[in-house]
Amino acid sequence: MSSNTASSSGGSGDSSAARKNSKRPKYSKFTQQELPACKPILTPGWVISTFLIVSVIFIPLGVISLFASQDVVEIVDRYDNDCIPAPARTNKVAFIQGDAPKACNRTLTVTKRMKQPIYVYYQLDNFYQNHRRYVKSRSDSQLRSPKFENQISACKPEDDAGGQPIVPCGLIAWSLFNDTYTLSRNNTPLAVNKKDIAWKSDKEHKFGNKVFPKNFQKGNLTGGATLNPDIPLSEQEDLIVWMRTAALPTFRKLYGKIETDLDNGDTIQVTLQNNYNTYSFSGKKKLVLSTTSWLGGKNDFLGIAYLTVGGICFFLALAFTIMYLVKPRRLGDPSYLSWNRNPGGGR
Amino acid sequence: MIQAAHVGIGISGMEGMQAVMASDFAIAQFRFLTDLLLVHGRWSYLRICKVVMYFFYKNLTFTLTQFWFTFRTGFSGQRFYDDWFQSLYNVFFTALPVIVLGLFEKDVSASLSKRYPELYREGIRNSFFKWRVVAVWATSAVYQSLVCYLFVTTSSFGAINSSGKIFGLWDVSTLVFTCLVIAVNVRILLMSNSITRWHYITVGGSILAWLVFAFVYCGITTSRDRNENVYFVIYVLMSTFYFYFTLLLVPAVSLLGDFIYQGVERWFFPYDYQIVQEIHRHESDATKADHLEIENELTPQEARSYAISQLPRELSKHTGFAFDSPGYESFFASQLGVYAPQKAWDVARRASMRSRPKVPKK
Repeated sequence: MSSNTASSSGGSGDSSAARKNSKRPKYSKFTQQELPACKPILTPGWVISTFLIVSVIFIPLGVISLFASQDVVEIVDRYDNDCIPAPARTNKVAFIQGDAPKACNRTLTVTKRMKQPIYVYYQLDNFYQNHRRYVKSRSDSQLRSPKFENQISACKPEDDAGGQPIVPCGLIAWSLFNDTYTLSRNNTPLAVNKKDIAWKSDKEHKFGNKVFPKNFQKGNLTGGATLNPDIPLSEQEDLIVWMRTAALPTFRKLYGKIETDLDNGDTIQVTLQNNYNTYSFSGKKKLVLSTTSWLGGKNDFLGIAYLTVGGICFFLALAFTIMYLVKPRRLGDPSYLSWNRNPGGGR
Repeated sequence: MIQAAHVGIGISGMEGMQAVMASDFAIAQFRFLTDLLLVHGRWSYLRICKVVMYFFYKNLTFTLTQFWFTFRTGFSGQRFYDDWFQSLYNVFFTALPVIVLGLFEKDVSASLSKRYPELYREGIRNSFFKWRVVAVWATSAVYQSLVCYLFVTTSSFGAINSSGKIFGLWDVSTLVFTCLVIAVNVRILLMSNSITRWHYITVGGSILAWLVFAFVYCGITTSRDRNENVYFVIYVLMSTFYFYFTLLLVPAVSLLGDFIYQGVERWFFPYDYQIVQEIHRHESDATKADHLEIENELTPQEARSYAISQLPRELSKHTGFAFDSPGYESFFASQLGVYAPQKAWDVARRASMRSRPKVPKK
């Protein structure tokens, strides 16, 4: 009796009959936590070589990126203040909302040869396309197919006009940018190709080719451009570009592209219609002409960041080498153990 | 009798299971106590500290990127990431690696833990979960969130490939999310002392799961009235060189800060376990030697005592339970079929009770 109870209550290792049937659990490397493992120790060798490898990789990448960005030629022209005639500058909002002619002439000078295609952008500052109520004010199902014309719940207040649904509905479409630019060089007009300015995925899948604008800008307040009701949405590329809401309050959107080269010293005459009201919220409007490289437009940030990080890593490799030489510590020196350094105390 | 303690450890054995039933931890032999404390208890402390710190760090980093974004949305509350990306961040994309960390993290091996019992003092001094440690992790989270957010938003202004097209909000946010998932997952490898293949599988698998989910989620449209914000975004991103350049730069810069900190800390302010690791860095993992020796072979002396115990002997009536007296009334003994002999005075007492009504005798 006693041996029975002893074996049922004790674990293994009991010094009587229990030794015959061991209660030891089945061994596996996973449950006994004995999986083969890599135990990295950040020795000075590893630290310095990591920094060197990072700098060796990053510095050339930074040079490549910076060259790509430096090759890009960009002309930026802010026109929203100058395109208001002097007498109207005291009340710009009234001017822009009124019926006065809005045509404006600007001159741009090319300072470096620009190879085609040259992209024409409009840049807006202080325009919060990323505002929460603005971003949600659209109906993607409506844009795709005429079947979902009535799915306008998120589009308030621009959801219907007199009971009929607006296509495309929402504040984003309603506030479509409507300044236009006509460019000419030496009195010969420069053709601006407005095809293929939107992402292909948007044109083919997000905006349907059977959806036509309806009841658009019919309300009391006109927010922006009107749309031709005979052209399906998949071909209204200005709308498609505009509806890809920007991430930050300062953004550029593609207007078109010029397919001829521009030489150094060329003067470009721009006749623009200054229709869009950015004056009520102190926004800025700029016209941008820019070439691109394989990495994109003129943005030195990536190149400078790579170079800076590569340089910092190189400098750190040197600094750590000096540190390891000046203040050496033998690896695995037991005198650094806290109970050897100050017995009874420690870290 | 012990009335109060921080932890109760019961040892099961000849005196029965009462201590086991009343304890927090139960072991079978007294010598297992060294393992419980010095090996498993210490590892458990280390693992819990790391897991908790990592959880706060990864969520802080994730949330702070959105926080920096609010400054640029007119404080309107626009979310930076798509809803599903945000919800599944903690479920699929960063959950498994930290579980593997909590299961397998070992600063030194079991035999070394027992050879240097003073390592246990790190737990007593709470050296892995002080405010100082929390502050370091929080600073790292702030730094990484700033890097992920600022590097991407600054460098994605303007055209990002040769076609001159522009990214929208959801392209930028998906790129930040990708950099973040990679940085936060690779951080596990930086903070592990012992990296098993499960670490690689879960870290790689989480990043892969994110990509697979993005491919699937960005490729579908439904007929519901919902904002299909990230439709095709990941494919648009992957069609640019810019994406790959950013993907190399941002996680590397994020982790650079932690790497520098770890290098400096190990050199100038090493923990005790780090010194022990260095002392024994050339020794290979002696796995079988860590086992407590529980062999089934008997030494000659043990074989002799076993044989002696097998000789016919007087069977003890003790049941192994405290206060269970076999000489009088033993519940457990009676369960096993051993009854105490009747006492003469008890027989007489019961015989004299026959005609009396059942009255409680106290």
